[in-house]
Amino acid sequence: MRLVMKFGGSSIASREGFKQACAIVEGHRKKGDLVAVVVSALGDTTDRLVEACDKAAGGDRKSVEAFLNSLQAEHMETCSWIAEEDARRKAEEAISAMIGELKEVLMGVAYIAEITPRVRDYVLSFGERLSAPLFKAALESEGLKSEWFTGKDAGIVTDSNFGNAKPLVELTLHQVKLRVGKPYSEGVIPVVSGFIGADQKGRITTLGRGGSDLTASLLGAALDADEVWLWTDVNGIMTADPKVEPSAKTISQLSYQEAMEMTFFGAKGIHPKAVEVAMDRGLPLRVKNTFNPEGPHTLITREAGVKTGFTAKAVSLIREVALITVGGAGLAGAPEVAAELFQILSEKRTNILMISQGSSEANISFAVSRDPVDELVSLLEMRLLGGKTVRQIDVEEDVCIVALVGAGMKGTPGIAARVFKAVAAEGVNIRMIAQGSSELNISFVVKREDGPKAVKALHREFKLGESS
Amino acid sequence: MRILLLGFGTVGQGFAKLISEAGLELLGSYGIRPRIVAVADRGGAAVNLRGLDVEKLLQTKRKAGTVAAYPDHGKPGVSGLKLVEEVPGEVVVEVTPTNIRDGEPGLSHIMAALKAGKHVVTANKGPMALAFQALMELAEYNRVTLRFSGCVGGGTPILDFAGKCLVGDRITSIKGILNGTTNYILTRMTDAKLSFDEALKEAQALGYAEADPAMDVDGWDSACKLVILANWVLERKVRLEDVEVKGIRNITPEEIEDALKRKSHVKLIAYADQDTLRVSPELIPLGHPLCVSGVLNAVCFTSQYAGEETVVGKGAGGAETASAILRDLINIKQAASR
Ligand SMILES: NC(=O)c1ccc[n+]([C@@H]2O[C@H](COP(=O)([O-])OP(=O)(O)OC[C@H]3O[C@@H](n4cnc5c(N)ncnc54)[C@H](OP(=O)(O)O)[C@@H]3O)[C@@H](O)[C@H]2O)c1
Repeated sequence: MRLVMKFGGSSIASREGFKQACAIVEGHRKKGDLVAVVVSALGDTTDRLVEACDKAAGGDRKSVEAFLNSLQAEHMETCSWIAEEDARRKAEEAISAMIGELKEVLMGVAYIAEITPRVRDYVLSFGERLSAPLFKAALESEGLKSEWFTGKDAGIVTDSNFGNAKPLVELTLHQVKLRVGKPYSEGVIPVVSGFIGADQKGRITTLGRGGSDLTASLLGAALDADEVWLWTDVNGIMTADPKVEPSAKTISQLSYQEAMEMTFFGAKGIHPKAVEVAMDRGLPLRVKNTFNPEGPHTLITREAGVKTGFTAKAVSLIREVALITVGGAGLAGAPEVAAELFQILSEKRTNILMISQGSSEANISFAVSRDPVDELVSLLEMRLLGGKTVRQIDVEEDVCIVALVGAGMKGTPGIAARVFKAVAAEGVNIRMIAQGSSELNISFVVKREDGPKAVKALHREFKLGESS
Repeated sequence: MRILLLGFGTVGQGFAKLISEAGLELLGSYGIRPRIVAVADRGGAAVNLRGLDVEKLLQTKRKAGTVAAYPDHGKPGVSGLKLVEEVPGEVVVEVTPTNIRDGEPGLSHIMAALKAGKHVVTANKGPMALAFQALMELAEYNRVTLRFSGCVGGGTPILDFAGKCLVGDRITSIKGILNGTTNYILTRMTDAKLSFDEALKEAQALGYAEADPAMDVDGWDSACKLVILANWVLERKVRLEDVEVKGIRNITPEEIEDALKRKSHVKLIAYADQDTLRVSPELIPLGHPLCVSGVLNAVCFTSQYAGEETVVGKGAGGAETASAILRDLINIKQAASR
């Protein structure tokens, strides 16, 4: 089989995980499969790099220095597990050199006490640039042939939207095939840093949260892989968050559309663009558990694999949500206000999760992720309040979204009624509701403390624990 | 309109002549005042931001073998890539030789031009057949136009016919003779009862076939054109490696005779639909619109509503291809000034 395997940060954070990941690759390669590897940064390195950027931009050289020391120590520690001396020495050299480079950048930032998005991406790229040579050395230590690439060297080209760059997919596929295709076909294991690419002028960009999944999909498509395996630290994609619903099970099969709906609602899962690239080419994705490789896992293909009697597949809870309501009797028949509202939302690049307008037209409500909500709200107040039309802008931060997803809901009447009934029986009040026109999901807003109750109620009502 | 011309062979020179001859008419009818500000061949480049003199260019090339000998403005050893990156201009015309192994130097020329925000017109099939989608994406991302009419059919507007004349309809398959050299060889094998080798020699003597005829007789030239058609007309994301290719080297006089007995001719046919992508010799009945002889090309488009439409034309030639490049330029100008 031609495989691409991506190992997430949590998979390779610990000694056990790192070794396990190498063992998985080794096992498949020795069986005769061709394997290309995409690695994330070790553990929470990326988050800490973000922090280091902020510290550096604040001129705090001491913290930066301390951070670099611990970063070096951790990666050297991982290095020390590599048995074969030559491979280990090479990895150590690569790491020292890279940390040296990173130090220069961060000190430069600290010196001028300012960081641009472009420099930030450059700094963030170090997480994956450090883990890839490590992984390569570990494979070589086991007698396997390997070669490592940064996302840029592998040929991943993106737009210049630093921090959340989008790949130029066709150009990327062309270049990746050219650069990585040959070693891959010859049985060498290419190890590619996930999450990073470069714009057409060669400046390093990052692909946003979950970007390593996208790297893996792109590699899979470029290398004509039979499947792409995304290794995490859980048994695939679950019917619900097991911390909320202990009877949650692994979903054995999802369609690309279902997977997209789930990622849109921030369900722990896959980068939406990664799913899109795979969908375009019918490239199967598997989500597996590094620590339980033979255990249950999720396969994502064109088929939804809907079983009769099971209409929904998963229920997810999105916690960090705020509900904003813009109201005023004059709103009816004043479309320019809605236009202005959306203008503001797009200027602020707000990620709108749900939206609804009362039929009286006297208010518009929308749910957004809670992160930058204060700034957004004051901007809305500045631009909208005070005229005759908008009388009030309310924000509720103690809410969450519950989303029920499943291809079987499409064209099945009575789903909404079942949802309301099950939730109402728990005494939960629904604040707002939306159904995607794809009919693959129903989502609604409830009080934050009601979220888990609603999830449990739906998990029971739609027999999610039994369906897979 | 400032033009950078990469490649100054048959097509490149033909194009330079054409725009200098058509000068006033281009200005009057289309508002185009073309100036060639840079030219490159293997020997180097000539650059003049105010425009190079076409007569002098042709003369220099004839006498010295390279445009780098152009008086005052010659730059020996300067590469086409450097021109694209450094000389300002609106359009790059890429007419270096076709290379189907890696597309170079054309592929790098085109990519650099698009990245630099320059429109590109090319007759070079290699880069298009190897990286069609990647190049179109890069053009779109940089908001410039990439046109390639000269790649298929030379002066015969095969791509434009499919793109413009059948607008609103859906083309479901493409079938045709896309290579004049092989059609000439097969025609001579049929009409004059020549063997393949004899017919090939004759084609070479007449200048229809290259000294190394592999591109033509092994079907690769047809395959390149088919890939371009499949991407452009059928919207398939395919590359040269996806084509099943069989040439005409092994066609025997017996097969030609057999075909005649069945009131047919052997033709090298390129065929594409949503599932298939193939170049191979096939029998075409006499009287069928595709049964054209000599160096002619013919392409039959089958579309959902209009049914079958066939375009026939000369297919190649320096002056003909230069005219296709000019058409593309005019299109770019019209789109830009709309
Ligand atoms: N001829 C036709 O009928 C026809 C029809 C359709 C499409 N085409 C395509 O159009 C293109 C040009 O054809 P052609 O007949 O004009 O070919 P040609 O006569 O061989 O001319 C090729 C030109 O490219 C130059 N060149 C080669 N390598 C170069 C490099 N690295 N940098 C800069 N210039 C370079 C050559 O330089 P030198 O002069 O120094 O050798 C020559 O001037 C080809 O891709 C061909 O497939 C041709």
